[in-house]
Amino acid sequence: MLDMLKKAANASAVAAYLILIVVPLWLALDRLIWVSGFDVGNWFNSLDENYVSQDVIAFTVKQAILSTITTLAIGIPIAWQLGRYKWPLQSLIKSILTMPFVMPSIVAAIGFLNLMDILDLRGNSDTWFTILIIAHAWFNLSLVIRFCEPVLSTLDPRLEEQIRLLPSGKTLMGRVRHFWGPIMAPSIIAAACMTFVFSFTSFALVKLITLGENTIESMMASIGSSAGIEGYRISTNEIILGGSIIQFSVLLISLWLMSWLAQKRQSLLPKASQKVVKTHNPYGWVVVGPAILFSLAPLIAVILKSLRIQERKKDIAVEYWSFDGWRYAFKETSSLTSGWEALTNSLSYAFITLAIALPLGWLLAQTIKDLEKKSPNLARIVDVATMLPFAVSSVMIGLGVTIGMIKINPQFFYDFWFTPVLAHVMITTPFVVRIILPALRSIEPAYDECGMVLGMSPIKRLFYLKIPILSGSIIIAATFTIAMSMGEFGASWVVTRNSEWTTLPIMIDSIRDPYNPVTNTASNAVAAVLMLISIILFTWAEKFRPKRDGGMF
Amino acid sequence: MLRCVNLTKSFDKMLFSEFNLDLEPGEIVAITGPSGSGKTTLLRCICGLERLDSGSIFLNSVNITDLKPEMRGVGLIFQKPVLYPHLSVEGNLKLGSKKGDFSNALNEVGLPNFNKRRIETLSGGEGQRVALARALLAKPAVLLLDEPFSSIDDELSDRLVKDVKKLLKDRECPAILVTHNKKIAQNFADRVISL
Repeated sequence: MLDMLKKAANASAVAAYLILIVVPLWLALDRLIWVSGFDVGNWFNSLDENYVSQDVIAFTVKQAILSTITTLAIGIPIAWQLGRYKWPLQSLIKSILTMPFVMPSIVAAIGFLNLMDILDLRGNSDTWFTILIIAHAWFNLSLVIRFCEPVLSTLDPRLEEQIRLLPSGKTLMGRVRHFWGPIMAPSIIAAACMTFVFSFTSFALVKLITLGENTIESMMASIGSSAGIEGYRISTNEIILGGSIIQFSVLLISLWLMSWLAQKRQSLLPKASQKVVKTHNPYGWVVVGPAILFSLAPLIAVILKSLRIQERKKDIAVEYWSFDGWRYAFKETSSLTSGWEALTNSLSYAFITLAIALPLGWLLAQTIKDLEKKSPNLARIVDVATMLPFAVSSVMIGLGVTIGMIKINPQFFYDFWFTPVLAHVMITTPFVVRIILPALRSIEPAYDECGMVLGMSPIKRLFYLKIPILSGSIIIAATFTIAMSMGEFGASWVVTRNSEWTTLPIMIDSIRDPYNPVTNTASNAVAAVLMLISIILFTWAEKFRPKRDGGMF
Repeated sequence: MLRCVNLTKSFDKMLFSEFNLDLEPGEIVAITGPSGSGKTTLLRCICGLERLDSGSIFLNSVNITDLKPEMRGVGLIFQKPVLYPHLSVEGNLKLGSKKGDFSNALNEVGLPNFNKRRIETLSGGEGQRVALARALLAKPAVLLLDEPFSSIDDELSDRLVKDVKKLLKDRECPAILVTHNKKIAQNFADRVISL
């Protein structure tokens, strides 16, 4: 009986997931093809023929490649220093350096805009590209650290000692070629793939920092509102179809490569050693010191700018300290969404997303785990299916919900406050699966067997054994879900069609106006709130991270 | 061949003081002593992985005391085999010598056709044999063995002691074994020293 219930729960989870993820995307695809006609060649040609999408692919690829190279160039030396040497307040330093990844992209974008202002680079049309690349490096730096540092810090010292005593390891180059290279390459390439994916689908940073340049992602977001309407701007539908297919293919290949490398990395990774004795490296501050400053600078700039009002008086710029921006942001007016309302919306969406994504993701992870024993092939199919949304960017998900739901019922869509949750669940569920699944796999079968012979019922075993063992991963998955939902910008920007749905990131973007001193400061105040919430969630969650969790999310 | 003159090393306590040793070509010496007596540290000092407090080490009349470990030409086999999981058995052997007869090297240690095996599929004894084959392929001037027979069962250990001794003697490779097991020390070495 219990077994049947378990099977029913697993099957329902897979069905619910497919309905949530696949149906909106399928409906959107169907709608776009219905409007534009099924002519694949035309979809790709339209990308080149329309001014809105010309050069977008080249720009997307160029900035993603350069961002990846820059991120690795900055990240690897930092990971090396953190992994190989002992640092005072090591966990604090690591938290600071890995924090940017959990920062909402809109906060990062605002932070870098502020830095450009402070460094007087705002009006300089030559520097925005460099700033964009550096901002991507800032955002993705923690990926390199999180992927590489755990390998370096727990590497059995005997492995390095042994290579030095063998002819192949006599020279530094030999040791790099035969030891460090092969040991580190999977982690570095996996981090590079993720960085490439995130830079390729960058939206907030591109939208705010560039002078109107577009990635495929931001281009689709900007024209998405006019898609899916019969007889109206047919080319828009074609561009979105062409752009989506290219983006989906690139992301799929990158993620496949990353998944393959992640498996390879896990099997090649030497067992963690408890014997690692680290030494201090005073010269390492030359790397770690500026890295800490680099990680904190945009965040400090957000706080500072939320308290600075800049006005022009008789052609002279005057700047002064003030709480006017905070007052404006959280003022209740009839015409403007207040910060409180945006905060309430963000928190509500985040907790509803959590209530759906966490149990759904857990059930999916459990389904995969159960199937791995009985039907490995089916397990692999479900596993890949849960990863598919990683290959669909947030704007594509937003468009899926928007265009997909317009087809079902436009009026209902415009009035349905719940709508953004659909997009947030689609985005966060795969992360929950990725966090819970390795934890489920790591539970020794003996624990459950021991519970059985002790006479514990399945429910008792769930509450007394499984949940306590998984608690760290559950808390991380939950905080990750809340943080991602609260900071989500791309899909929300596309989906939000009603001011009553305004979330904190949407508010930051909508009131941001470089020519209005108060609203610009107010957008920084809202960004500061979002940033502080993210920092609190991140710091809290990190306490529960299992040691040597493989260094992924 | 290998001369250790007045070697002294301490961490929190004195491990060994004024230790002297003359190792003749082809000779095998065993050093015994209880746990914590500094046997492993002595080997690590000889191959350069630890620095001595004082004393000198000469190999073929050359003072190697301040040379980096990779420049000394001294081989070391750890207590538990250190094999690189990203490489196959043959890949690990290639670290010892790029152009060796790997099949023959594996035959000699009793592991024929193990060339393509993955490291994680090896048992403890097999891993130790691969580590030995690799160390011998590197043709070290002296081979140091840090209790390599302690992590395997008695029956296998007895067999491995005989096989390794024969291999070292065939090659006239001088070696120092450290062990807390006096029986292994007597079976393996020409001379036994207590630390």
